[in-house]
Amino acid sequence: MSLLKMEGICKAFNGVTVLSNVRLSVGKGEVHALLGENGAGKSTLMNILTGVHARDKGSITFDGTSLENITVKHSEEIGISFVHQELNLFNDLKVYENIFLCKEYTNKIGKLDKKRMKQEAKELFERLGVPMNPDAMVSDLKTSEKQLLEIAKALFFEAKLLILDEPTTSLNNDEIDHLFSIVNKLKGQGTSFIFISHKMPEIFALADRYTVFRNGQYIGSGDIKDTNPEEITKMMVGEQYSDEDLYEPRENGDVVLKLKDFSGTGFAHVDMEVKKGQIVGLTGLQGGGSSELMQCIFGSTPAYGGSIQAFGKTVPNHSIHKAMKSKIAMLAANRKENSVVADMNLLENMYLAEHTLSAWHFHINKGKEQKKFDAQKKSLNIKAQSSADMITSLSGGNQQKVFLARWLNTEAEILLLDNPTQGIDVGAKAEIYKLILQLAKSGKTVLINTLEIPEIKKVADYCAVFYNGSIIKILNHEEIDETTVMMYSTNAMNTKEDN
Amino acid sequence: MKTEKKGTSSFASAISKIWSQYSFIFVCLIIFIVYALTCNGLTWNGAMNIFRHSAVIGIIALGMGMVCLTGEIDLSVGSMLALVSGFSVVIFNVTDNILLTLLFAIIFGAVCGLVNGVLVGGVQMPAFIVTLATMLIYRSFAQYFCQHIPKELCGGGSSVYRIASDKAAFQSFYDFGNGKIATIPIVGIILILMTALFVYIAACTKFGKKIYAIGSNAKAAVMSGINVNAVKIIVFVIAGALVGVGAFLWISMNGSADPATTGNSYEMYAIAAVVLGGISMSGGKGKCLGIIFGAMSYTIIDKIIVALKMDSLINDAIKGIILIVVILIQVAGPQIKAKLAKQKIG
Repeated sequence: MSLLKMEGICKAFNGVTVLSNVRLSVGKGEVHALLGENGAGKSTLMNILTGVHARDKGSITFDGTSLENITVKHSEEIGISFVHQELNLFNDLKVYENIFLCKEYTNKIGKLDKKRMKQEAKELFERLGVPMNPDAMVSDLKTSEKQLLEIAKALFFEAKLLILDEPTTSLNNDEIDHLFSIVNKLKGQGTSFIFISHKMPEIFALADRYTVFRNGQYIGSGDIKDTNPEEITKMMVGEQYSDEDLYEPRENGDVVLKLKDFSGTGFAHVDMEVKKGQIVGLTGLQGGGSSELMQCIFGSTPAYGGSIQAFGKTVPNHSIHKAMKSKIAMLAANRKENSVVADMNLLENMYLAEHTLSAWHFHINKGKEQKKFDAQKKSLNIKAQSSADMITSLSGGNQQKVFLARWLNTEAEILLLDNPTQGIDVGAKAEIYKLILQLAKSGKTVLINTLEIPEIKKVADYCAVFYNGSIIKILNHEEIDETTVMMYSTNAMNTKEDN
Repeated sequence: MKTEKKGTSSFASAISKIWSQYSFIFVCLIIFIVYALTCNGLTWNGAMNIFRHSAVIGIIALGMGMVCLTGEIDLSVGSMLALVSGFSVVIFNVTDNILLTLLFAIIFGAVCGLVNGVLVGGVQMPAFIVTLATMLIYRSFAQYFCQHIPKELCGGGSSVYRIASDKAAFQSFYDFGNGKIATIPIVGIILILMTALFVYIAACTKFGKKIYAIGSNAKAAVMSGINVNAVKIIVFVIAGALVGVGAFLWISMNGSADPATTGNSYEMYAIAAVVLGGISMSGGKGKCLGIIFGAMSYTIIDKIIVALKMDSLINDAIKGIILIVVILIQVAGPQIKAKLAKQKIG
């Protein structure tokens, strides 16, 4: 008997389809693994279920009743609880206050019954075997404790369906075991779980059934015991992309970027040499240090030691402006937060960066800027009607191309691309790879940081795998494949081969 | 979506587009028509007087507009006007030189703005708090020094900074503040020139675009290489310098500055003019051209109240109500529109 049935769900954001006709059914007392690569649409589906987004099409039945116009509050009331990946806790409140927020016990005149709340929170923690003080401030908790608190909070109100979105990322092994034992215990009592994770061992240890999405489409589902990790991975990744042969070896020039014993927040003692026209992939787990290194090269975070040389000259005391003057550019991750200037049109978004280099030429020559924009628009194939359109009217892929244009416009020679295909649909992704290869061919040097290994395989001449803040392995183009990279980035090899 | 609607409704959509971008002109026009109807017999001079009386607040509001575009706020401009105009009177009384007075007013205003700017942009303190504090400080200084400097420096007045009328340059200074060129008040011409300058700066210069970028998305501005803190400091300095210009006009028009009342609530009028002019208080959006219309709208309301012989104490209530109504239309309009659109689809 199924507790939850979602059928024919469709959803598009600003014209970009993120879910197309997907389905999901979860039985009572079942741990259901929801699988798929980043951007496959898992989170969107969960957000639809919990009322964060409204669905465009499709039907949802939960516990025998059909759900329409779900709100976050309504979904909580009927027993769906979402433990978010990013923690939704209030740091300035105490532990028990977080648990009881909006559901406080009060006496007749509305005074909070703190004693009872603390007592029940304490009992909950004891039952779950979590050593936590209900009176502690949430800001004082460790990340793993916060994660457990999130889960405890969801459990307290006896949810029928708990959605765990990558719950183990900030937990150590003991804590993971503990969490799993709690999940198993609750499963025995009839609670259902949707378990979102990228870690195969966990999925096979915990889940009963699975559903796989790829690029917003339903691929398949079944019992975990009938399958194996290879099969699931194949379903998630899909057939190898046909544009595999885009990559071709290029002649590289002199060394243009040289890092010497370079250290900063999140990484240490990185030595690296990049030649003109090379494409270097940086990868590793989240927080492994590759993105941090990029930000530090660009000067947006302070460096602690070591040096950077660009074109034979030391990049002086790191600031973004100085990095830009040394012909370094960075396409930052989190496009919306770090790149999009929402109140500006395409032209303005493009020329912004270059104008900090030519600030003393006060006047904006609109004709000249327009010509530059048209040239970039043509060479990057930006699909837009006019340069006066607002940036927010474009799809993610085209926005990203505008920001690429922003940096090419500064005549930068070294391009740092931090997760450049984040939130972009597949077609646009392929176009971005093509552009990256073109740029390298035309003599630009590219460093690309991404957690998606197929992406690196497509473009990189070599790949530096980060683990715990340092480069653990350099892989040549031929050596790059998903399993090898994964093994190094999780330090599964346990061998510290130096580059 | 946009292209589909072409046809019969294109005229309506064009109107609504003009309204959404230039509503300040309509608001000002409507208020002006009400004034023309109530003042029984509008004269050219009466209309030109609007410029004259909008000059000081208009110029101050231009600076406020810049500050608001970066997403900050400056509450100190009213007090700053009192302080700068007071001290400028002293400088005039000492030097008997109009140009030096102007120079002093601008530089002193800029320094006052620099204090705000360094604390907000440099030290990263919240602008609301910083400028609230300097508002108290500047007003207090203006009043304190008025009492504690030799009487002859402030024109012999007891609690007012007064320009000494026996100075040689007095008459030409007074003529500057109250004279006309081709029937247009000189101070009004200065307001128009200043507005033109800042419309140019905001729309056509690299510095102007940086101001918008910072107000729209400060993080993205940083990542584009913009020195956000420096731009903020400069913007506060500009706002201060504009208060200096306003102070110079003030004393040339009035011949005196009362430290207790000069510029009272001007920070609020300036903010209101900026908002009425269509600039978003969270920054990044709006046209500098709107500011002059916002400022003039308020001046005309003053004149309507005088024309109707109403008690001037009702003045602020009407200004407040108009501000609420205009912003209500701006905020609620799109919401209603979205609701209607939703119903059409559903």
